Amino acid sequence: MTAHPAADAATLKACCATGYSSDVVALLLGPSYHPGGLRLTRRLLDTIEAGPGDRLVDVASGIGTTSLLAAQEYGADVDGVDLSAANVALASGAAQSLGLSGRARFHHGDAEALPLPDAAYDAVVCECALCTFPDKVTAAAEMARVLRPGGRVGLTDITADPRRLPPELTGIAAWVACVADARPVEEYRSILAGAGLRVTAVERHTDALEQLVRQVGARLELVRMTSPGRLEELGIDLTRAGPVLAMVQAAIRDGVLDYVLLVGEKR
Amino acid sequence: MTTHETAARERDEVFLELTKSICPVCKTTIDAEVNVRDDQVFLRKRCAEHGEFEARVYGDAQMYVDAQRFNKPGTRPLQTQTVVKDGCPQDCGLCPEHKQHACLGIIEVNTGCNLDCPICFADSGHQPDGYSITLEQCQTMIDAFVAAEGEPEVVMFSGGEPTIHKQILQMIDLAQASPIKAVNLNTNGIRLASDKRFVAELGKRNRPGNKVNIYLQFDGFDVETHKAIRGRDLREVKQRALDSCAEAGLTVTLVAAVEKGLNEHEVGAVVRHGLAHPAVRSVAFQPVTHSGRHVEFDPLTRLTNSDVLHAIADQLPQWFRTDDFFPVPCCAPTCRSITYLLTQGHPDDADFGLVPIPRLLQVEDYLDYVSNRVVPDYEVRHALEKLWSASAFIGTETNEQQLRQVAEALDCADSCGVNLPEALHGIEDNAFMIVVQDFLDPYTLNVRQLMKCCVEEITPDGRLIPFCAYNSVGYREQVRAQMSGVEVADVVPNATPLQPLLTPTPYGSRQVPR
Repeated sequence: MTAHPAADAATLKACCATGYSSDVVALLLGPSYHPGGLRLTRRLLDTIEAGPGDRLVDVASGIGTTSLLAAQEYGADVDGVDLSAANVALASGAAQSLGLSGRARFHHGDAEALPLPDAAYDAVVCECALCTFPDKVTAAAEMARVLRPGGRVGLTDITADPRRLPPELTGIAAWVACVADARPVEEYRSILAGAGLRVTAVERHTDALEQLVRQVGARLELVRMTSPGRLEELGIDLTRAGPVLAMVQAAIRDGVLDYVLLVGEKR
Repeated sequence: MTTHETAARERDEVFLELTKSICPVCKTTIDAEVNVRDDQVFLRKRCAEHGEFEARVYGDAQMYVDAQRFNKPGTRPLQTQTVVKDGCPQDCGLCPEHKQHACLGIIEVNTGCNLDCPICFADSGHQPDGYSITLEQCQTMIDAFVAAEGEPEVVMFSGGEPTIHKQILQMIDLAQASPIKAVNLNTNGIRLASDKRFVAELGKRNRPGNKVNIYLQFDGFDVETHKAIRGRDLREVKQRALDSCAEAGLTVTLVAAVEKGLNEHEVGAVVRHGLAHPAVRSVAFQPVTHSGRHVEFDPLTRLTNSDVLHAIADQLPQWFRTDDFFPVPCCAPTCRSITYLLTQGHPDDADFGLVPIPRLLQVEDYLDYVSNRVVPDYEVRHALEKLWSASAFIGTETNEQQLRQVAEALDCADSCGVNLPEALHGIEDNAFMIVVQDFLDPYTLNVRQLMKCCVEEITPDGRLIPFCAYNSVGYREQVRAQMSGVEVADVVPNATPLQPLLTPTPYGSRQVPR
C-alpha cells in the first residue's frame, strides 16, 4: 500500500474520516449521500441476504439511512457506528421517531476500533467509506472480528487504478483526496482476504459513480450561482473545477475509476 | 375447428400488457396488446368490424419499462358523478372506479376561435354553429370541480379561444372567488398581442394567493412550422404577446405541439427562448394528439414522450440528459415527464447558470413507489410529489413553497457553511419547469393509463371527464351537440391506413360516413 504524496494518512483522516459531514465534501456531496442511492443499498442488502432478525453492523453509518432501511424493510437488528457524534445523534433521533430504537442503535466510534463485541453479528455493511479509511487493513480486520463464522460482509466503494490516475486528480480538494486513496478492486479483495473474508461476488456499478460526478458538478454550479465567495474561501478554483470533473468522467469511461459492490464471507 | 399453419415460429416482439382500448373508427371498447418491438413500444388492437390497428406509444422501450416504478397510489375524489355500467371508458365521469382525483380541471368556454389551425384537437375555428358557455354554466362547472376536489390547485380556461369570450375576465373572477388556488389561461396569444388593456386586466388578477399564468401556444420559429400547425405566420404575434405579458407581470408557459417531421428539430430552440424571456417560467411539449383536426399521420411512426426527451437532450447537450426528467407519478407514469431547473442570467451570457434539480437530489429515492417502502424524508417526498404533478404550475404559491422545501433538503449549512435556502432566496424566481406530455388519442388510448388520468374536462352539466377520454371516445362531440343543438359527426383520426374510409366533417376533422 502506498500513501498518496498529496494526502498522507493524517490529512486523509482529517479531511475524510470526519465523515461526509464536513466542509468541501459536504458542500459537494450534500449532508448525506452515497452513490447509487437507496436502490444500490437495497441491492447490497439483497446480495448479502439480509433478513428478519439478522444482526447487522453498519460501518460509517452516517445519518442512519442504510441502517434504518435494513431495520425497516429487511427486519434486521442493526448497530450503526460513525465517527461523527453529530451524525450518531441524528441517526438515533431518526430511529426513535420511526419507533425503531429497539432494532437500530447508533454508536460513536472508529471503524478501526469498532465498539462492538467479537463474533456477534451475521453481517457487516459499509457503503462508500472504506476508501476514506486511512488504515484499511485494520478496518477490514475489525469487520472480520465482529462477524460470526460464515457471516457476510457487503461493501460498496470507489475503486481506482492509482498507476493510471491522472496526476491532476490526486492533489486537489478533499473529496478527490478520498478518491485518490481508493484502490483497485484486487487490492480490496486482498485486504478482505487478509482479514479472513473470502470475496464471493463483485459487481460493477459504474453508473452510480457517473451520477455522483454529475451531482458534484451540479452542486458546484449551484454554489457558483448562489454564493461564489464561498467557493473561493474553500479554495475551489472554478476555472479548474470544470476540467477536473471532465477528467474524472474520462477516468470513469476508461475504467480507471469505478464503483463496485463486493460481498465476502468470513471463513 | 380451424387449423392454421404457422409461418414463423419466433415472434418478433415482447408481449408486455393486455389492456383495453377503443376502435378508432366506431369507438367500441376492445382488447388491446402492448408489445415491445425494435426497442419501441406499440399498442395493437382488433375491432370485429373494422379490423386491426397499431400505434407507436413510446419510442424508447427501456424508458417505458423503467417509468412504471414512478406510480403513486391514487387519491379518491370527494365526489364522483356517474355510476359504473358499461366499463371504462364508456362511463365518464368520473365514475367510482377511477383511480385518481383531478389534479387539473379544464373549462372550455367556447368552440369559436380566431384561428383555423390545421392541427386542433378541439376542432375549433371560425364556426357559426358552436357554443359559448354562460357565466351561470361557468359557475356550475367551478362548483362541480370544487365539490370533487375541495380546494383544487388549478383550473385552466380553454376553448376554442377563451380570450375571445366576452366574459372571460368575469369567469376568471368566478374562479378566483372560489377555493381554486390558481388560474391558467390557454391561448394562442392573438388578443394578448393586440389588446394591452386586456393584458393589464389579467395582470391585475395575477396577485398573491390568486395567480394567473398564461399557457401560450408556441410551436417554434420556422415559418413552415407556423404555417403547417397554425395556418399562419404568427411569429410576431407571439413575440408581442410575450412582451405584453412580461410588462403586465404575468408568467407564461410556452406550449409547443410537436408533430413528427414538422418541428421536432425546434424543441431545443423553444427551451432556449423560454430561458431567455423574462415572462417565461416553463415550457410544455405535447406530441400532437391525433384527436379532432390534424394533418394526415402514420400511427406507426408518430412522435412520443421519449422522442421529445431525446430531442431535448440531443439539441441541448450542454444542459440536459434524458435522465434529468422524471415521470409524473400522480397520473400513469408514461403520460407525463417533468424536470425543474434552477437558472441564473440570460442564456447568452458567459456566466449563465443552469442546474437541473434532479442532479442535486436522488428523485428516485422518493418517487419510485414500487421499491421504496422507506424514504429518507417524507416532507421531501411530499414536496416532490407536488412538484412532479399535473397540478404543478410554476409561480403558484404551492409550487414556490415546495421548491423552498426541496432547497432545504439540499442544505449543508451546519457543515459546509453555505446556507442553501438563504443562498437560494428567491428560488421561486429562478426556477424553470419543462413538461413533456403525450395525450392519448383514439389510436393510442390505453384504459390502464386512462383510469388514472388526473387532467379532467369539466362539462357544463357538471361532470369531470378525463381529458383523453373526452377527446377520443366521443364525449367532446356529444357535449358540443348538446350545447349547440347542432348535430356533430363522430370524429375519426386522419390516419394513413384509414384514408379510404374518411370524409371531411364541416369543421375540417375526419369522419366515416355511416
